[in-house]
Amino acid sequence: MKRWLIVLGLLGLAVGFAQVRTLDQIRRSGEIRIGTEGEFPPFNYFDEKNQLVGFEIDLGNAIAKKLGLKPVWITQAFDSLLIQLNQGRFDFVIASHGITEERAKAVDFSDPHYCTGGIIVSKKGGPKTAKELRGKVVGVQIGTTYMEAAQKIPGIKQVRTYQKDPDALQDLLSGRLDAWITDRFVAKEAIKERKLENTLQLGELVFQERVAMAVAKGNKSLLQALNQALADLMKDGTYAQISKKWFGEDVRCK
Amino acid sequence: MPSWLRVFVFLALLLGGYFGLFALLGVVLERYFLLTGFGPDRAASAAQAMALGAEITLKLTLISGLAGLVIGVFAGMFRLSRRLWVRLPASFYIWVTRGTPLLVQILFAYNALPLLLKPLWPEAQQVLTPYWAAFIALSFNVGAYNAEVVRAGIQAIPKGQWEAAWSLGLSPADTMRFVILPQALRIVVPPLVNNVVALLKDSSLASVIALTELALSGQRIISATFRPVEVYLAVAAIYLLLTTVLTFFTNLLERRLQVAGR
Repeated sequence: MKRWLIVLGLLGLAVGFAQVRTLDQIRRSGEIRIGTEGEFPPFNYFDEKNQLVGFEIDLGNAIAKKLGLKPVWITQAFDSLLIQLNQGRFDFVIASHGITEERAKAVDFSDPHYCTGGIIVSKKGGPKTAKELRGKVVGVQIGTTYMEAAQKIPGIKQVRTYQKDPDALQDLLSGRLDAWITDRFVAKEAIKERKLENTLQLGELVFQERVAMAVAKGNKSLLQALNQALADLMKDGTYAQISKKWFGEDVRCK
Repeated sequence: MPSWLRVFVFLALLLGGYFGLFALLGVVLERYFLLTGFGPDRAASAAQAMALGAEITLKLTLISGLAGLVIGVFAGMFRLSRRLWVRLPASFYIWVTRGTPLLVQILFAYNALPLLLKPLWPEAQQVLTPYWAAFIALSFNVGAYNAEVVRAGIQAIPKGQWEAAWSLGLSPADTMRFVILPQALRIVVPPLVNNVVALLKDSSLASVIALTELALSGQRIISATFRPVEVYLAVAAIYLLLTTVLTFFTNLLERRLQVAGR
């Protein structure tokens, strides 16, 4: 949280100089700069060959192709992505940002590109529902919507924040946490990657979430183009194909 | 052997050693990751990514340490100047740099500096990549600490040395250059080395602006494999290895200077 405040303070300084590119300016340059985190499998991460891959990377590339532009990927820390977006360091961000009121004040969100939920992960025999979390210690990644959701669950003893999801998982395994709340796809990926099927269990979804791309506040021309491209991809089957490749199911919002 | 040849051979060995170190590191890391239960593909790429991260860490430390040395010598001298307009900017620089956290300086160099420079230099945002932003922040940071070390070294030289030089007709600038600085720099080698070793570890803070140095390359592997214990163990070991290599060379340097001083 402190780091977030420092970044915010520093950027308050510079907001007056912010420069954001409109769709025309992007078209003229021929390249579209896309911001993401690169540490959130299976959505955006570095694979065995150290290449940036994932569901959102495939989707971002497909959108750039639809717009006739060359994608240029830029990875930055998750908690500063939206701030740098407003500074014009990239043209849009696709990094699994759940739509929240607070974020919608700072940036403009596109139509959601998938739907998900925050899930409770615990050791076998541990809490599975929000009710059972009463009096328990819960871990979440800092700056995420799961953090906000966990803080709203009544009766929780303590919400611990971690820089990264794997740190929270580690504390869950070592017994310092009773439960870990994270994205349901991340939880599945973690259990698969570390072969923890016999140790951990998935509980209920604590909330539903719509996840969208973001553009700088007021960048209407680009937002419309993104929405159009996304709608086209959903219609022509490209979206379903990418989604099946990563999840074995279609993750679009119903 | 003529001296130019000796210098040449020494540099060639150094360069070979540099690349050899990271190649070897890659092989060792791959073995280690295989042993700790990573798949063969993942072990190879993780080892490669971490060896690359280690190289970036060392390179960044070396160039910002060098720049910080130059900044430190000048800022340290200027702080002792009798002229107010020389002394004041140097004091101000040291005050600000030592008084703010390096983390904030790195974030500032990357996130705020390009926007502040934009009116004068429109391409600043493209030029100040994470690497160069980290270089600026680290070299100015270590420069301020070096400046105080250099100042202490200059003040440690007895007054008689100044008086002797002046009585021989040397100007104040020449006295500084030929009499005081060479003696002072010899005194301050150990604390300067200390600053460079600290700098190597501090460079891990550059991971906040997504510079893929050693710490961040480790974090990226963790985020894909969910195995913090194995990876952080390797990261810590590599930092220890790098600081050990660094102190080995600086110990050599120190010993040489000592002999020359006697």
